[in-house]
Amino acid sequence: MLLNSLLRCRPRRLLALLLAVGLAPLANATSPSAHLPAAPASPLAHPAAAASAAEQDADTEDKGNLSASARRIYDAGRSRLLQVRTLLRDQDSQASVGSGSLVGDDGLILTNYHVVSQVALEPQRYRLNFQTVDGVTGALQLIAFDVVHDLALVRMAKPPAAIASRGTFEFRPAATPLAQGERIFSLGNPLDVGFAVVEGTYNGMVERSFLPQILFSGSLNPGMSGGPVLDDKGHIVGVNVATRRDGQQISFLVPAEFAQALIARSAHAKPITVSVEAEMARQLLQHQQQLTARFIALPWRETKHAHYSVPVPQEDFMRCWGSSNPSESKGLSFERSDCQMDTAIFINESLRTGDLAVRHEVYDGSKLGALRFAQEAGQSFRNEGMGRRTHDLTAPKCHEDFVENAGLPMRTVMCLRAYRHLPGLYDLAVLSQSVNGQTEGVQGRFDARGVSFQNAMLLASHYLQGFAWKRSP
Amino acid sequence: METLALIETLDRDGQPRQILRVSQWPVRIGRAIDCDLVLDDPHVAAHHATLAWRDDGLHIEPAASVNGVRLGRAAIAPGSSPPLPASGLMTLGATTLRVRLASEALAPEQRLVDLHQHERRHAATLMALILIAALWKGFELWLATVPGTPSSALAWGYLSAPAGLIVWCAVWAIGSMLFQRRFAFWAHLQVALTWLLIAVVAEAVTAQIAFALSMPAIEKLGRLVFVGAIAMMMWHHMGLLLPQRRRAFAIAIASAVTVGGGLLLADRSLQQEPLIGDLYLGTISLPGVRLAKAVPVDAFVKSAAPLEKTLSQWAKPGDDDDDAPSEDEE
Repeated sequence: MLLNSLLRCRPRRLLALLLAVGLAPLANATSPSAHLPAAPASPLAHPAAAASAAEQDADTEDKGNLSASARRIYDAGRSRLLQVRTLLRDQDSQASVGSGSLVGDDGLILTNYHVVSQVALEPQRYRLNFQTVDGVTGALQLIAFDVVHDLALVRMAKPPAAIASRGTFEFRPAATPLAQGERIFSLGNPLDVGFAVVEGTYNGMVERSFLPQILFSGSLNPGMSGGPVLDDKGHIVGVNVATRRDGQQISFLVPAEFAQALIARSAHAKPITVSVEAEMARQLLQHQQQLTARFIALPWRETKHAHYSVPVPQEDFMRCWGSSNPSESKGLSFERSDCQMDTAIFINESLRTGDLAVRHEVYDGSKLGALRFAQEAGQSFRNEGMGRRTHDLTAPKCHEDFVENAGLPMRTVMCLRAYRHLPGLYDLAVLSQSVNGQTEGVQGRFDARGVSFQNAMLLASHYLQGFAWKRSP
Repeated sequence: METLALIETLDRDGQPRQILRVSQWPVRIGRAIDCDLVLDDPHVAAHHATLAWRDDGLHIEPAASVNGVRLGRAAIAPGSSPPLPASGLMTLGATTLRVRLASEALAPEQRLVDLHQHERRHAATLMALILIAALWKGFELWLATVPGTPSSALAWGYLSAPAGLIVWCAVWAIGSMLFQRRFAFWAHLQVALTWLLIAVVAEAVTAQIAFALSMPAIEKLGRLVFVGAIAMMMWHHMGLLLPQRRRAFAIAIASAVTVGGGLLLADRSLQQEPLIGDLYLGTISLPGVRLAKAVPVDAFVKSAAPLEKTLSQWAKPGDDDDDAPSEDEE
């Protein structure tokens, strides 16, 4: 499964993305207009051409009118649209670019946290800059961020004299929610090739997502991150944030309410001059508290295995995928279930956190015999990676023993890693394999990223208590 | 006539190449035909040195020469005529001579170390070792394959280990050939088999015991035994090459293990990894092997509490090494 890709444009990463996702599958594609790298402007210049067949059928308006409304929205919003650039501290080379929107007449700009993350985390190496559609540039200061919802506020250090005349974006009132299928318009600067407006459809909230996100059926590209998404009246309904690499026009927006809350909280705050790590840890601790509470409140699902009860989560905010090996296999047969959350919180290029994953494998080794089964089971127990020390995390430290729950004895290992820069946060991994079957068994693994130590203990207990031995099948 | 001494011309390996019986002193040594001991060495002068008997024993009297006479590494100073050293060794040009005096006490007779005889005597042991190793390897292979694996695939796996072992022992045997003039293949095979078996069996057995008692430390002990057995194997191989250097080899291997092990431990400690072995015990055995009682979930989680202290220490800022590798996710 592919991860959501964040819409920040970084030159080196971009090449990898295009080579890996863009060029290879499109080599045999029938429509060259979809070929993004060769003709980057075409899908943006003719947004209607990119619209899906369903949209064309459903929409009674003709294409001329659609383009006209995109033009109207863009014309109305262009003076408040900006590109947010992360530059190296001592030279003018850009490290990454995103987009932003003017939301305060003192030069307050709304964007994504991940657009400004380098500056937030390493102010000694990076600085922020903006450029408007009409070419005005200047320095930016970080004001506030909401790392959980991937939002940030920045302010122009020296707002240009005519800043007030540009006006600010308004938010769509919460009282008038969008209906599925309504046309909305995303603004930004995709791949740093120029400011663009992208038409798409509002398709409600993403299902089974712990953090609310709007499903936007439109083409978002790296570089558009942080740009506003507007309704027909030019009011902000969301902020560009991510897209799915394995789909087409499956894009995600941060709902406007979180941006409004952040502005209400911090519009008049002073620029951040101290390390952001303490505040970031505070926000993440708050998030993990909610996540843990909601997760532990959910009962485990019933599993169908004759002998084992295995903890499988409800799919309220997780998604489970199952697989098994062919039944004619002469070795170990297994069935696997892999449940994880779609939303992980971006901290930096190499660290995502704030999510849970539960998976298990049920083994049937009747074709192997007891000795070989033990060998295979041990192999798969040994193979689990617990990670190594990195810039962000300590090495794992483990506790292990035989654990018994509801009649099922297991070999259990519980490993934790501490966040080196975010005090109080840990990654938890619990690995457990049953040790009561001659030729059958179950191995489960639970992962929680970015939880407090106390919640790690709670989650580990909760997880292990999901195992049981069913005496009479 | 009575033999007073022997003067042996030694080759590079220290074996006598030419022996001169001495019945009267002095003895003149050099390249010239009129010398008592004629050396065919271009680095020796026509009349290079004289061995003369004085009241206090035999003395070396160097004549004028370009390369002079050396005792061990020290050259004899011009004009001096030192007594013959206890070893009886001296070097003229590129030729080493050994003087044995009739008056010297003889070392007692040493027992013959005949490698071939040794091998014959140990043939039964060797056969037993080969058998055990073959069974062990077969068991390992059987464990790791699924029923119905084609026998040709099995054969490749089965034969690669003995093939490797044969090459290993052959290389050592060539070493024996060099130093001992014997192709001591079987002796090396016995060394390799013995210690490899000790290593792998110790590792496997300690892993099982560690599982049975739920004591990962026992498995770590097994790792140490493994390393120790491999070191012993190397020492025995080297001892077969040069038996008189066993002590030096023991020191060399012990230092290598200490230094290498020390560096490894330092690195692992820096990376916050366990000093020996894996992060956790990876062995899963038969249900009947388990002796340790399983603890309830609550007790297990409660006893994990000390992790917090260790981890908060590890997370402490300080030597902030930004060069630590970052996890690449995409």
